[in-house]
Amino acid sequence: MQDFALLRHITIGQYLPGDSFVHRMDPRAKITEVLLLSLALTVNTSYLANILLLALCLGLIRAAGISLRYVLSGVRPALPFIIALSLMQLAFYGNPSVTSRLPVITFLRWGPIFITSSGLQLVLVSLARFVDLMILASILTNTTPLAHLAYGLEDMLKPFGRLGVPAQEISLIFILALRFVPILAEQLETLAKAQASRGADIGAGGRWRFWRTARAMLVLIVPLFLDAFRRAEELIVAMEARCYAGGRGRTRLVQLRMGRADGIAILICALLAVGFIWFRKSFPF
Amino acid sequence: MNGTDKLVRRVVTAGVLAAIAILLGATRLGFIPVPTPAGNATIMHVPAILGGIMEGPAVGGVIGLVFGIFSFFQATIPMFKDPFVAILPRIFIGITAWLAYVALRRLNEYLALVVSAAVGTLTNTVLVLGMAVWRGYMAPGVALTVGITHGLPEIVVAVIIVVAVVSAWKGLARRRHARL
Repeated sequence: MQDFALLRHITIGQYLPGDSFVHRMDPRAKITEVLLLSLALTVNTSYLANILLLALCLGLIRAAGISLRYVLSGVRPALPFIIALSLMQLAFYGNPSVTSRLPVITFLRWGPIFITSSGLQLVLVSLARFVDLMILASILTNTTPLAHLAYGLEDMLKPFGRLGVPAQEISLIFILALRFVPILAEQLETLAKAQASRGADIGAGGRWRFWRTARAMLVLIVPLFLDAFRRAEELIVAMEARCYAGGRGRTRLVQLRMGRADGIAILICALLAVGFIWFRKSFPF
Repeated sequence: MNGTDKLVRRVVTAGVLAAIAILLGATRLGFIPVPTPAGNATIMHVPAILGGIMEGPAVGGVIGLVFGIFSFFQATIPMFKDPFVAILPRIFIGITAWLAYVALRRLNEYLALVVSAAVGTLTNTVLVLGMAVWRGYMAPGVALTVGITHGLPEIVVAVIIVVAVVSAWKGLARRRHARL
């Protein structure tokens, strides 16, 4: 009942204005670099590679001028769950396919519980990878306005247009979605207040009374969908009245420009990614 | 309805439903607490199912993609910071829901809605957990338990929402036409 002000909780990809080198980079360059580094992250399972990548990410976040505390602040509510999941992973996953040169040591084997050094490595590496990806995702969304991200995405998809990928439409969908979130959040708030004033017990029920919670939720969610469809109909009429006919031949106010620094940054990230992927089995530990 | 008409409708529907998926995640309204270790059953995939049913596989797929990207960026547990788990499986939710709907629509509209909501939900549960096992985040036994304890309530809730929303919307649309 206490959470009527739903808008306040939305902090997705909050853009933090700034003037760092990372802020000034072209969104296309940033997307490419994040993709390259994420790829390098997901294939490396050795300790050393992950330590190096973690250091790299910490360096990047410094360069972007974002505080690590801010990036990790979203994790706090999920911490008990993360710990529980990690412990389960550690206890029951003794024989994972981790490529390591270290000998596998069995710490404990008792019934279904099977704890080995490679299981421990898997847990530690997935935690490190999680922090790394958290940082990379934050760097992308905290230093780039959402509209620029969408434009970047559109320009990157454009070459695939010949294969039938509607680049402009996809980026328009992203922009529409992000634009509609606050509008629908406001509507949701109104609905919650309306239902509560009629005696609906929103948010009650708790963990053990699943059906009650679910039923309370339905009186909000079904009207929310119907309202969204009504707004969609209005927008369709408005767009048709303005002769929107798809992305073909459309021009844009904001034109993105790649500088030399963007090119160099992409090159460095590409070399790093290739290096980490190529030598993923050669790290000593 | 000509080609452009359909295009505008698809783009707008996809955008609005994707916004609901994001909203359900950001406000935690899309998570229904259940008494299992993983904590919550989700209904964030329902917009993708609805998109697939109402506007076809492309729209359903794109909504799933937005939902996946959002859950990847918003993830607070390691498993969902892996694009193979968070993003890839979600694209298929709307597509399988659409397939089920189209296959059964001629038989009975309601049956088609029920089955496609269940199929879409199962796609989410099975593919995400399957990917989680394949990528080594979960032991197969744990994944199976999570799948059953979460999958069943999720299917029931998804079916109720999909049937309620689609039948209400179609009813409204019919009434509006009658008045014109």
